[in-house]
Amino acid sequence: MTETTVPTREGYRIVGRSPAHHDFADKVAGSLLYAADWQLPGMLHGKVVRAQVPSARITAMDVSAARALPGVVAVLTAADVPWNQIVEHASGGLGELAVAMPVLAADRVRYQGEPVALIAAVSPQAAEEAAELIDVDYQDLPGVFEVEAALEPGAPLVHDEGNLLVTWNIGGDAAEVDAAMAAADLVVEGAYRTQRVEHAYLEPEAGVGWVETGGIITLRVATQVIEHAGAIAAILGLPANQVRVISSYMGGGFGGKEDMTVEPYLALLVWHTRRPVRLVFERQESLLATTKRHPFTMRYRTGVRRDGTIVAQDVDIVGDAGAYPYLSARVLFAACVCASGPYRVPMVRHRARAVFTNTPPTSAFRGFGAMQVTFAYEQQLDRVAAALGLDPVAVRERNFLAKGDAIPTGERLDTAVAVGECVRRALDALGEPPRPSGPGRRVGRGFAANMQPYGRTMWFRDRAACWLSLEADGSLQLRSGVTDLGGGQAASLAQIVSEILGLPLGEIGVHIGDTALTPPAGGTFATRQLYMSGNAALAAARELRARLLPVAAALLGTAEDDLVFEDGMVRSPDGSGGLRLAELAAACHQRGVPTSHLGTWYAPTGAFDPASGQGSSFPDYTFGAHAADVEVDLETGQTRVLSYAAAHDVGRAINPLRVEGQIQGGAYQGIGYALGEEIVLADGNATSTLLANYLMPNAVDLPDVRVVVLESGEGKGPFGARGIGEPSIANAAATIANAVAAATGARVTQLPITPERLLGALDALAVETDTVEGGPHAS
Amino acid sequence: MTDGDKQRVSFTVNGEAREAWVFPHESLLDVLRDAGCHEVRYGCGEGVCGTCTVLLDGEPVSACLLFAVQAEGCSLLTVRGLAQGAAQPGEPHPLQASFLRNGAAQCGFCTPGMLLTAWALLRREPHPTRERIRRELCGNLCRCTGYSKILDAIEDCRQP
Amino acid sequence: MVAAPFRYQRAASFEEAVAALAEHGEDAKLLAGGQSLVPMLNLRVARPEWLIDLNPVGAGPVAEAGGVLRLPALTRHRVLESDGLVRRRCPLLAEAASLVGNVRTRARGTIGGSLAHADPAGELPLAALTLGAEVSVLGPAGARDLLVDELLISYLTTALAPDEVITEVRVPAPRPRQGWSFLELTRRTSDWMVAGAAALVELDERGTVAAASLAFGGVAERPVAAPAELLGGLSGEPPAEQRFARVADLAAATLRPEDDVHASGTYRRRVAGVLGRRSLNQAAIRARASGETP
Repeated sequence: MTETTVPTREGYRIVGRSPAHHDFADKVAGSLLYAADWQLPGMLHGKVVRAQVPSARITAMDVSAARALPGVVAVLTAADVPWNQIVEHASGGLGELAVAMPVLAADRVRYQGEPVALIAAVSPQAAEEAAELIDVDYQDLPGVFEVEAALEPGAPLVHDEGNLLVTWNIGGDAAEVDAAMAAADLVVEGAYRTQRVEHAYLEPEAGVGWVETGGIITLRVATQVIEHAGAIAAILGLPANQVRVISSYMGGGFGGKEDMTVEPYLALLVWHTRRPVRLVFERQESLLATTKRHPFTMRYRTGVRRDGTIVAQDVDIVGDAGAYPYLSARVLFAACVCASGPYRVPMVRHRARAVFTNTPPTSAFRGFGAMQVTFAYEQQLDRVAAALGLDPVAVRERNFLAKGDAIPTGERLDTAVAVGECVRRALDALGEPPRPSGPGRRVGRGFAANMQPYGRTMWFRDRAACWLSLEADGSLQLRSGVTDLGGGQAASLAQIVSEILGLPLGEIGVHIGDTALTPPAGGTFATRQLYMSGNAALAAARELRARLLPVAAALLGTAEDDLVFEDGMVRSPDGSGGLRLAELAAACHQRGVPTSHLGTWYAPTGAFDPASGQGSSFPDYTFGAHAADVEVDLETGQTRVLSYAAAHDVGRAINPLRVEGQIQGGAYQGIGYALGEEIVLADGNATSTLLANYLMPNAVDLPDVRVVVLESGEGKGPFGARGIGEPSIANAAATIANAVAAATGARVTQLPITPERLLGALDALAVETDTVEGGPHAS
Repeated sequence: MTDGDKQRVSFTVNGEAREAWVFPHESLLDVLRDAGCHEVRYGCGEGVCGTCTVLLDGEPVSACLLFAVQAEGCSLLTVRGLAQGAAQPGEPHPLQASFLRNGAAQCGFCTPGMLLTAWALLRREPHPTRERIRRELCGNLCRCTGYSKILDAIEDCRQP
Repeated sequence: MVAAPFRYQRAASFEEAVAALAEHGEDAKLLAGGQSLVPMLNLRVARPEWLIDLNPVGAGPVAEAGGVLRLPALTRHRVLESDGLVRRRCPLLAEAASLVGNVRTRARGTIGGSLAHADPAGELPLAALTLGAEVSVLGPAGARDLLVDELLISYLTTALAPDEVITEVRVPAPRPRQGWSFLELTRRTSDWMVAGAAALVELDERGTVAAASLAFGGVAERPVAAPAELLGGLSGEPPAEQRFARVADLAAATLRPEDDVHASGTYRRRVAGVLGRRSLNQAAIRARASGETP
């Protein structure tokens, strides 16, 4: 096969430009059909009935009154589920506790919001009334609501198998690490806690299902992973080919639509009633019961030499898995791999555990464990700098990883590490620090560097496929199983294909996310799609081009190597001859040369040994740094972010405007995480399920995120791109904590940095203000 | 508890006369969506997120906090009615084109609410500052963009 | 997501509304702006049998009579924040209105509805209390007037009988050399207040304090005025931040706010003191700047 040379940077036609096309045009027009927008004749309305207590035995359930209500077509309980189990092999069989999760709780409730029954009715009103008629008797059982309590000997068990889901150990020999720590000039110890947060995508979880020809249960849902079709089929006791999942363009996902959300319930109602059903979660239901980010409790010991060189690091992480496993094992693995961040740590030990509690299950959320640890490792290094009287940037620079260095798993980084430049550029982008706006206020600057994996863990043998078909009229069809969260996942594939085959974007039809009709691409998570499907689209386009070239060369009487694909034509560069793609397609048809092609891209694989804590983890990382100036009101503890900059090495920006948008959006979510977002539970009970009380930032309360895009060109994605979906969410919390510490001397080690929490830290420091005598810290 | 009878309610949507038979408790949001205006979206039911924003007699309101019967005789504008103000038929409104050009839509779910609120603001104040635009968009939540490109897109459409 | 069914009646006048309330009693709720009521209906935590829609009553323009600002009960927040008369004669009220929710909230929310709803974290109840406003109320037995201080009883509880409706809100004329302030601490812009303070400071010809009022919101079951004796101690003295601080701190010390998901009572009390001082200070600065004419 002829290897097509990757065009030089200067030679790109469309890669590196920011056309707006495809789904984005529909979005501004308002014509895009999201999952809840599908209407079918005779459609029923579904509703999930949920337990309102966090830990209980179900002693009785009476749905007869609900079933008898006019307008109610079906009420389903656990007994109606053919195989009442959702199976998750989150660790790939590397030592995770095998714990089953029911689709509908039969006799035991493990978290507030756990589904216990399903309703399908002719109207939402009838569904609501039916739900109110369902009578469930609960016998409260003792529960555990914090990981510390769950790890105590004799603690109530969330699952009979035990409360510890998985333990990961990565790094070196414990005795050697301890010895290196003992020999350090200084050891900084820190304890950090992060909170439970919600994805809060503007589009609630939703889907419409119906029965297709041949009895195929078809779901059109807002999902990041159409491959759940297999699990759905298993639940229904059907062969896999009897379930079809179509993904709609999502109104945000962020990992919250990576596990099944509405799918099992929707499928059951469709399968049982044989009618179309629409199921949309209420916002308050979503806030209560859908998966959340893992709260982490982290203990760090960082041993350094007097000059700031790290000699040893010891990390212990406990993540709250909630009531069921979901993807907890993978989240804690990612945390364990990345727990020391982008630094050389010669003697290192990371331990990460996932522990069950009687709280809503936690699972994937942009950042996926590698985010929470940034809050810890970046504060540790600022504390090292402060303790040693060194510049925090200098401490980082002394320790940054470089290409060729080993990370704690023993793997060697094989792409450029531009994290140092990211720090410098982010700080530069802030400009001069501002002055405080008045008495009783302090300003401070902080920064935080990070590394975030992209691509799935290598033992999952990842692959993605993409189908291209040159049509008779010279247009192109692209089919990919990719799902689109709103980050241009689909549009990016068209842009890549356009670069290789030279068609204008308007002539590329993109069809995504259908288990029946698109080649599998794997789900949109782990910042893997540009890497996987991008490479698959690139491979398919190159391979198709290679097959078309000889035909074109023969027709034009030129050498293959001289031909250029552009503007929907194949041309010789001196302009002496050209073919429209329609003509080329016709010629191929005449010669029996297929004009369609399935390209598959296989990610490199590897193995990890949980016993030694060494082996393959992730294919590569995206490095970056954020910086911010904040102002603190010493009397109220309020923190205002005055300016904010984010620098990331994205390898190659396929669509620079979209890359900026991803970085800004990630940083925004990170700032919300840092300053206000929290799902607050009291003994497993939600204290509020109102969106009004979930403090995601609005347009007023954060500044523009200034973006610096570095392109090292050494990413493993198409054209040297790295993934950028997740990396930019991780830095904000540490950036702001470091800035607050710089402003006030008070360090907050628990998230979110609420005004009250900061005021408490200030009190502890007894900082004096210059406003009035007996300021806020006098009693 | 007894239902009231269905009532007839008449209003215009994007200049087109519409009529519906509704129970009093049916929200304007649900009735509009059932009538095919799926661009008006359910996001929270609390009036907080802004995805159900419509213009009622020129003012942004939460369709989830109005009952359809309250819209009797009113003139409603959804984002699909914006294009009627474009230079040529079939072209997007300049605000929509600006959103596209500036990358102001990622997942797009908040976009109709943003566009309508911005349109209503620019009609009253042709040259608002960036801070003024921020305050006006306070009640339109976006989870994807961090707001910057939305503000850029609206600034681009200010009168000189 | 869907409200429980109810019967619906439009009221074209306050009299009609009163008659409907009298007929249906506790089963009926008045619908004005709906920005507080309808979320409760959507979540099915409130299920009135009857909804009496006051919106057809409408609101005439804001007017001034003998210095008193007369606000029809259905006046929307959006009007309060932008109306020239309100901004000139009662900037405290305009500022408070501009902080209520978002543009959509303000397009529909009404001052009558806000006072009748009596949310202790509401901006308008706090503003109205501080201004010494009074309301006219219509019931089956006729009309009566009461001070906002008499109207607001407790959490979501007013002195209104189930068959009464607020028809008008009146704000006394501003005093010469009077400055105002309305400050709130929120977790996010446009959220319910964690704590708020509103103040009026009137100076005499010598520039000393003639009168001062201060009230807090979000820190009790209803907005609460600082004790008059404390504020009285400011009279005759030059305005000084130290004195304001002591008054505000002492006033805040009498508060017993509750904890909620956004802040503890202890924090609210502390912030109330800070905001109290800042608002007295800001009001005094505005009073000095206002010169002779209000």
